[in-house]
This record gives sequence, structure tokens and C-alpha cells, in this order.
Amino acid sequence: MLQDDSPDASEQSSINKKSNKSETVDLTDNSLVVDISDALSEKDKVKFTVHTRTTLPEFAKTDFLVVRQHEEFVWLHDRFEENEEYAGYIIPPVPPRPDFDASREKLHKLGEGEGTMTKEEFAKMKQELEAEYLATFKKTVAMHEVFLIRLANHPIFRNDHFFRVFLEYDQDLCVRSKNKKELFEGLVKSFSKTSDELLLSATQKDNDDFFEKEKDFLLEYHSHLRDATAKADKMTSRHQDVADSYIKISTGLNQLATSDHPELEKFFTKVSDTFEKARKLEGRVASDEDLKLSDTLRYYMRDSFAAKQLLYRRLRCLADYEQANKNLDKARTKNKDIHAAELAQQQACDKFEQISIKAKEELVEFKKRRVVAFRKNLVEVAELEIKHSKAQVQLLKNCLESLKEEME
Amino acid sequence: MHRVTTAELQQHGANGDDQYVRVSITEPQKMGEGMGAYMAYRVSTQTNMQFYKKSNFSVYRRFSDFLGLHDKLTEKYLRSGRIIPPAPEKSMIGSTKIKMSNQSDQGASADFIERRRAALERFINRTANHPILRVDPDFRDFLESELELPKATNTSALSGAGVIRLFNKVGETVNKITYKMDESDSWFEEKVQQVENLDAQLKNMLTRVEALVYQRRELSQCTASFGKSVAMLSNCDEHNSLSRALSQLAEVEEKVEHVYAEQCIADFGILCELLKDYVALVGAIKDVFHERVKVYQNWQHAQVVLNKKREAKAKFEIMGRTDKINQANDEVVEWESKVERGQEEFENISRMIKKELERFELVRIQEFKVTLINYIESLMQNQQQLIQIWESFLPEAKAIA
Repeated sequence: MLQDDSPDASEQSSINKKSNKSETVDLTDNSLVVDISDALSEKDKVKFTVHTRTTLPEFAKTDFLVVRQHEEFVWLHDRFEENEEYAGYIIPPVPPRPDFDASREKLHKLGEGEGTMTKEEFAKMKQELEAEYLATFKKTVAMHEVFLIRLANHPIFRNDHFFRVFLEYDQDLCVRSKNKKELFEGLVKSFSKTSDELLLSATQKDNDDFFEKEKDFLLEYHSHLRDATAKADKMTSRHQDVADSYIKISTGLNQLATSDHPELEKFFTKVSDTFEKARKLEGRVASDEDLKLSDTLRYYMRDSFAAKQLLYRRLRCLADYEQANKNLDKARTKNKDIHAAELAQQQACDKFEQISIKAKEELVEFKKRRVVAFRKNLVEVAELEIKHSKAQVQLLKNCLESLKEEME
Repeated sequence: MHRVTTAELQQHGANGDDQYVRVSITEPQKMGEGMGAYMAYRVSTQTNMQFYKKSNFSVYRRFSDFLGLHDKLTEKYLRSGRIIPPAPEKSMIGSTKIKMSNQSDQGASADFIERRRAALERFINRTANHPILRVDPDFRDFLESELELPKATNTSALSGAGVIRLFNKVGETVNKITYKMDESDSWFEEKVQQVENLDAQLKNMLTRVEALVYQRRELSQCTASFGKSVAMLSNCDEHNSLSRALSQLAEVEEKVEHVYAEQCIADFGILCELLKDYVALVGAIKDVFHERVKVYQNWQHAQVVLNKKREAKAKFEIMGRTDKINQANDEVVEWESKVERGQEEFENISRMIKKELERFELVRIQEFKVTLINYIESLMQNQQQLIQIWESFLPEAKAIA
């Protein structure tokens, strides 16, 4: 049964949510406000404090906290994914697992190389790595938060039973992470699902032009997004490497300054200073590109994947409908169980029509969302690039002025 | 954009006068074919010195001519304590690439040729900046003489000059093994140590700059790669204004990649090459220190022989061997003057080295300052380009409807 959700309100809240990724929430409806108020990084785990404020009567309290780990978010996502009633919706993509491996490895390498560098250098590089670690941490919090906010703002999802449990239940959800056997099964399942998907794409002739086009578009779009995300990640990582190498140049110049001719001392010190400031700016460029470009691409890669899943579910539905038709024909020819077959056929037909209507809305919604998100982030990244470059130009100008004074 | 060249450094008065010899090296061209092929360069000089026939002139020289010039100057002046600017290294890989390359093979060999041309230019100008070397007749011939220079056979590794180079490459180990000089001059004691430190520092700095060059090159490649993937994204996007903006973004990334590549060239061409040049120059200083040690050795050896001759003469006097005394006496006199000459040579070379080092320091300080300024300017210009690139993109992003 179709719920009576006003498309305007859901559209509105979706857009707002996308544009204010983590901070503010939709202003028109405060009945369920979710945020991650705190997070703790502990060895291998991250513990998120999920904070809910609500005026909805279904909840026991109006303001409460629970602590959740990543696996519990995955559990929640899976509950939505498997719910037949939500088959016509794009299920918000699950946030990626918190991944500090890269940061940790860098920190480890730094520790190993401690003997080969000066105290000053070591301290600077450590500081830089800690900042990176912190940035990764903030990102993972933001991504988990966005996931919850999207659910909370969705007129249908917000009323989901499991969602309430997730927000409210103050014990662990006893979601152990999948053991090897389950992981393997999951892999096999998803593999067969994909080939199923491919099979369906090939044999199921879709009468609806809209969905045919959508499928073609999403397949290509998702694949390009995945590629662009990977390339963006590589680029920002290299950019960070350049910023890091500035540290070495700066400390090297300092060493030269102390041991070289006194007339060069001031010169070297000034240039060393400039490099130190420049590397902070370069570091910011790298992290802004990461946040605005890479993360936007990454999010829409996931969202477009969720959209593909929706199309797949619809095609399954169509397959079921066609099967029900065949069964009805068979029943009629055999003159046996006709009524049951008619009922089944009617149900399959209804289900398919509902899912098609809903899916169309969702897909149109999805496309609008991404245009808005891209616009916002592209504008922001351009503004930040300009800002940082201007700052660097100013820094370098100052350096040049002061160096040229030394020449006289 | 104009970068201050080593030639123009002379204007900063390292020689304390208005006279100049400025050389530019241009038009690198491949002559000949196959294994006999070589690179020739146009050597153009501008000078206001009377020593030269004209004030503006050019000739063509090949790479081995430059090495030959360096060897001649070393032969003539190293012994008196002059620091001879080192010539660019012979590179087996580079020169083979040139010999083997054909028209279509431009890329990597073009890079190499440009680096070599720039290095040769710096070498000649450093030499032209030296008050004594610039008025050396062989140097003049190199710049002026229309005739082809006699083929420099000494540039092979086994020539006298080649051995000196080899010697230096083996470096400190050899220095320490050969002869432990009794250093009575604290100035030299200090200087030798300072030069060692400078050497270590420069090499350290060079490693760091090379790391920067590498990282920036990687960044440049990744940016290009990213740009291409954005272009693909733009192609499949059916939303008109977003597609347009994405294709503009792809262009932006391409332009940014060019800027990074330019910066790479500056990182390398300005900083790296400066550091490399000075590592080589420090090598030349060590050469001259070593020369002084040899001169000292010579003097001490003469002293030892003199003592022996004196002893011999004393012995003959005691023994009353009048027949041998005269000869012994002659020998004593001979070796006394050798000792005197030895000491004089040692004092001269020591004095000369002091002078040369003072001059070297002045030039070095100047060159470092100028080069660092050039480098910072290159960074600034590239950042300004980035501003322009992103500023022209911003309206495109805002135009997404």
C-alpha cells in the first residue's frame, strides 16, 4: 500500500540533508533529529555515540544516547535492504568501514625512521600524521552520521522498527561480525546475485523505455564514478605526499642555516619558514580536495549502486509477474486452481506496478540530488582552491620581499 | 620570465670590476650518424674585455671540447691552487641515447639535451667569471677560435686529468690513506672541516629535493589520470549543465597537471641543478686541498733528502774523504734550493687557496641567494596560474542548474 507521503516534503528534506552533510538538519521538521555527538577511537574499533532528539510518541524518551559500532550500522542497513516493503526505494548506502590502516602504517614507518631524522623533523612529521589521522576520523563520523540522518528524514524509513531499535536500545545489538563462513556465503550470494542481475538484464525485455534508459545510464555512471573516485583518492594522497616532502626541505634548510656561512643564515631560515607555511597550505588543498571531490564522487558511487539494486529488485518483480502470468495460463488450460492462480497473478501485478511507480520517483529524486550535491561541492572546491592559492601567493610574495631586502 | 643567469651574477661585482664575459650556449644539434654521432652547441660570447678580439662572437663546439678545456685549465692552474669549475659529467646513457635516437625519439633525449646545454652554460660562465681563467689563452681560443679544436683525447677516463677525477671520486678514503699531513695552519684545519660539512649538507639537501621532484611528478601524473576519468563521467551524464561543468573540470585538471609539470621542471632545473653544481664544486675544492697536500709532501720529501745529504757530507768530512766532499756539498746546495722552492711553492699554493676560497664563498653566497629567489618566484608564478585556472572554472560550477 502506498503511504501518503507528500513528495515535496521528502524532496525538500533530501536536498537539505545533502547540502548540510553533517551539521544542521531539515528545519521544517524537528520530530526526529539524529546526530553523532561523540566518537571514540579504540584500538581497532570506533565507538559512535548516537544522539536522538524526538517528539514522536513511539519513542520512550525525548532525548537519549546509545553507543554503536560500525557493524551495527551494517546490520541496520541489511535490515532495510532485505525488507520487501522497501523494495521500491533506494536504500541509503551503508557508510564505509572506518579505515585507519593507511594512517597507522605511515605512523609506523615514521617510528621506524625516527633515528634517521632530527627531533624537530620527527615532531613535525608526527604532527602532520596526527592531523591526517584526525581528519580520517572526522570523515568516518560524518559518513556514519549522514547515513542516519537520511534515514531519519525519510518519511517511510524513519518509522521502521529496526531503526527505532537501533536508536533506542541501550544494549549492544549483539551483532557479531560475520565469521569466515558467513563472509564466504555472503560473497557467493552477492556474486550469484550479480550474475542473476546480468542474466535478467539480458533476457528481460523491459517495455518501459524510462527504465531501459535508466538501467543503461546507471550501469555506465556507476562504473565511471567508481573509477573517478579511485583516481581522486590517488591524486589527493600524492598531494599529501608533496606537502610532506616540504617538511624535509624546510628542516634541511634549517640545518644548512645553522652550519653555513652567517650571511646565508637569514636567507635559509626565511626560505625554510616559507616552506613550512606552504606545506600547511598544500596539506589543506589535499584535504579539501579529498572532502569535496573524492567524497562526493564516493558517495554517489554508493548511491548509484543502491539505485542499481533498486532496478534489480524491480526486474525481479517483473520476472515474478511474468511467471505468475504463465502459471495462470497453465491453470486455465488444466482448469485447475484457477482462482489461486488469478489471485497470485493479481498480487504480482500490483506489486510490480507499485514498485515501478515508487522506483521512478526515487530515480528522478536521485538524479536531482546528485546535481545539487555536485554543484555545491564543485563550487566549494573551486572557492577553496582559489583561497589556498591566494594565500600561498601572499606567503611567497612576502618571502620574496624580505629576501630581496637581504640582497641589498 | 627572466631568470638571473650565472653570467649576470658578474654584475653583482664578485670581481669588483666592470669587466665581463658572458656566454650563452644554444642550438644543440646532433651531428653525424650512428656511433660516431655527437652533439654540437653554439657558443656565443659578449664581452667588453680588450683581451678578446671582438665584443660579440660565436663558434660551434662539441661536448668533448668542453671537457678538453676543463682538462687544460686543470693542468695549468690546479697546481698553483686555483679552484677550477668542474665540467658536466660524461653520461654513457645520455650520450648513447643521443647517438641512437632518431627524429621520432624526441621526448627523453630532448630533456637530457636541455639539461646538458644548461649545465654547459653554467660551467662556461663560472669559468668566465674567474678573473684569471677568463684571460687564459686556451679559454679565449675556446670561445673565439673559428678553427675546430684539436680532438681532446684526454677526456677518456685514463688520461692524467681523468685520473685526477677518478682520484677525487674515490674521495676521502684515499685522502686519508695516502698521506697524513701535519697541519700547522689552523685556517686550513678549520676550512677542511667546513668543506666536509658543506659537502654533507649539500648532498643531504639534494636527496630531499630529489624526493620532492619525484612526488610532484607523481602528483602531476595522477592529476592527469583523474582529469581523464572526470571527462568520462561528463560524457555519460545526461544533465546538460552538470555535464558541461564536469567537462570543464576535466580541462581544469589537465591545466593543473601542466602547472605541476612546470613546477617539477623548476624544482629540478633550479634547485637540483644548483645543488649538484655545488657538490661538484666542493669536489673541485677538495681537489685543490689535495694538491696542496702533494706540494707539502714534495717539500717534506726534499727536506728528508736534504737531511740525508747533509749527513752524508758530515760523514765524509769526518772520514776525511776530500774526493767526495765537493760533490756532497754540491748536492747539499742543490737540495737546499729544492727545499726552499718546495717551501715557497707550499706557501704560494696555501696563499692562493685562501684567496680562491674567499672568492668562492662570495660567489656561492650570491648564487644561492639569486637561485633561491628565482625558485620562490617560480612557485609564486605557478600558484598564480592555479588561481586563474580555478577562477575561470568557478562560474561554470555555479552555472549548474
